[in-house]
Amino acid sequence: MPLDTSIYPLALLRLDGRRWNELRRIHAQVSVQAAADGSSYLEMGNTRVICVVLGPAEGKDKGQRGAREGEAKVGVEIAVAGFSGMERRRRVGNKRTSEMQHCLSTAFSSLLFTHLYPHSTISISIHILSQDGSLLAACLNAATLALIDAGIPMSDYLTACTVASSASSSSSDTATSDPLLDLNGLEEQELPFLTIGAVGEKVSVLMLETRVRMERVEGMLAVGVEGCKRVRAILDGVVRTYEKKFG
Amino acid sequence: MGPEVVLSHLHRADGSATYTHNGYCVIGSVNGPIEVLRKDEQPEEATVEVNVRPAAGVGSPKERHLETLLHNTLRSIILTRSIPRTLVQITLQIRSLPEEDSVLGVNTSLTLLPHLLNTSLLALLSASIPLSTILTSVLIAIPSSKNAIPLLSPTAKDLLRAKPLRSLHVFAFSGDRKLLLNESYGSFGYEEWDDACEMAEEVCCKEGGVELSEGMEVEGQQGNLEEWLRQVVKRKVEREQRWRTAD
Amino acid sequence: MPREVEVSVNERAFIQQALQENVRLDGRAFDAFRPLELTFGDEYGVADVQLGKTRVIARISVDVTAPLPERKFDGIFQIVAEFSPMASPAFEVGRPTDAEVILSRILEKAIRRSNALDTESLCIIAGLKCFALRADVHIIDHDGGLIDASCIAVMAALQHFRRPDVVVEGEKATILSVREREPIPLSILHQPLCVTFSCYEDGERILIDANLAEEQVRQEEVIVTMNRHGEVCQVAKYGGATVEPLALLNCINMASQKVKEISKFIQTKLEEDAKKRDAGGLMAELSAENER
Repeated sequence: MPLDTSIYPLALLRLDGRRWNELRRIHAQVSVQAAADGSSYLEMGNTRVICVVLGPAEGKDKGQRGAREGEAKVGVEIAVAGFSGMERRRRVGNKRTSEMQHCLSTAFSSLLFTHLYPHSTISISIHILSQDGSLLAACLNAATLALIDAGIPMSDYLTACTVASSASSSSSDTATSDPLLDLNGLEEQELPFLTIGAVGEKVSVLMLETRVRMERVEGMLAVGVEGCKRVRAILDGVVRTYEKKFG
Repeated sequence: MGPEVVLSHLHRADGSATYTHNGYCVIGSVNGPIEVLRKDEQPEEATVEVNVRPAAGVGSPKERHLETLLHNTLRSIILTRSIPRTLVQITLQIRSLPEEDSVLGVNTSLTLLPHLLNTSLLALLSASIPLSTILTSVLIAIPSSKNAIPLLSPTAKDLLRAKPLRSLHVFAFSGDRKLLLNESYGSFGYEEWDDACEMAEEVCCKEGGVELSEGMEVEGQQGNLEEWLRQVVKRKVEREQRWRTAD
Repeated sequence: MPREVEVSVNERAFIQQALQENVRLDGRAFDAFRPLELTFGDEYGVADVQLGKTRVIARISVDVTAPLPERKFDGIFQIVAEFSPMASPAFEVGRPTDAEVILSRILEKAIRRSNALDTESLCIIAGLKCFALRADVHIIDHDGGLIDASCIAVMAALQHFRRPDVVVEGEKATILSVREREPIPLSILHQPLCVTFSCYEDGERILIDANLAEEQVRQEEVIVTMNRHGEVCQVAKYGGATVEPLALLNCINMASQKVKEISKFIQTKLEEDAKKRDAGGLMAELSAENER
């Protein structure tokens, strides 16, 4: 029997029964692949990704194109499984994935202590197994975990989440707009949202792709930074339990 | 109106020229001699690369065909053997075409070709690439009505008015009045071709030959394309050497 | 392919030190654009933007095709931005660099996905025929600020463009040529424009419209796209140094001001061009009379 969601709006609940500031279940594992230097598996609700880190190792191309002098190059590859979305497609969004690759690569190049590994490459490969919103956030979180597992020094966790603004963008009444934390696929299609990746209190990645009143952004950012903190606590927990078990 | 040209107006390219004539406007840039890809390197001569970029849309076989023609012609006038193991990169961006160009119903690559050739030569001069000779090029159209006079460097409007056309010819002459390139389209006899060729030679490089149009007067005298070209280069050199002449 | 020239260590230090003393190399204020020039071609829908030494030409062209099966009531609109060796020998034909992907992606998000153009108005007969609009962005000269300049060029060209009128009788549609009927402007819902912010010293100093040298020295960029109604269409900050959320909000506020200024600038240029065109139209008619 399908779930009766008709009373949800009355109780200010979202489609999947969460409150406005509730994260979806985050389940994460590290060291899921023995062959890699570092790896992780992350679920944010129904979004599932696997991330594998190789390196720091000698790069394939001698010239180290795209890397600065005396720093390691961070290469990112994102593969989207054909069965990950609602429709089965043979090729999934080319430019979008290359944009995500670029985003991850620049975000982690400045987060990792790349100056410790000159003339080398750190390659991050991400496989997206299932998509249900907050894709970029999931990739960032999974990559953070895998890089920690690989033991590559970095200044802090880079954690990410998504925030939406729930009132329609046409009404200028700011009082009624409520931010929503951690969107699923359906909500992402309906609402203007942003993806935020934070290191501590500071913002590293910010992607807003839908039209929204500028007054709304402030509230969304505030909730986003708060959400990133909570994701950080969860990921920290994952790393620490793993360390206790095997460390 | 005679052709107009702006030389060396781009900052990043080694040499550049914008050539406007009869509603055709082409921006040409030359980079070179620069490093060449290993696979394209030739041990005893320079590699010449020509890129023709259409005003709208991506390059089609028409552009590839023009590139081949330009490549072969320009390679024969660039002193490729004096700059071996390098690359001369010529990019031609078509900025605007006359409105009537699309409805001409004739081979539009021929109407464009002389403008591309003249632009690339000017850009090569601007980049100071060693050349064995200069090049001038012109279009000649022969209408199909009996006893019609061949049209010399016709505008797109002229062509439209003179329709139907029997044949189109593009001639390019070197500085020593040798025929460098000939592309003809349509049906014509040898006599006709010979007449057209003579006409083209006259306008391109014959001393005291007919001028292209009233706008082509060079310092009060009648000038041909070659003289026009010399004037352009003279002005350029004067401009570049003005620091010497200044008091 | 030769590599892009990188700024030298000395140059880098010089720019950074100058910034610490609140000076930019070209003497601009931190929140000032370079001199912006916008010219239109003889044809409709060609905009030539010069932003300092950066030069971008956008050209709109139109075609008639069948609409996509999943979007029967919409016309097709695509933006194509390809780098050519003209702007820098490091650009290789047919192999997009990261910068190229980002440029086309930002333009796509800023203009296409924010519904700046009403694609439904491009539909001729639902499911059978529609206009396919294409914006070609040609990068002629590159001295930084490509995204801002390209966005201005595309938006100006879209507002300048006129598409041919069409008459529909049942299943039959006739496209009327420019001679037969005055072409009609596109229906544009809002005008998004991009402002790129470059951050230095961990977000302490933020510049608008960095030139190429400043771009190479910066720690990170924040690209904000807004329209003059105060709506944010797109924000992209791809990693790089971290900044305070407040600084980002500041960027958005600054962007909204700049976008208003640029919108106004484009509007005046469009009006000037319309006036010129009108006068030219009369003149052309007169000369045609004289010829006969």
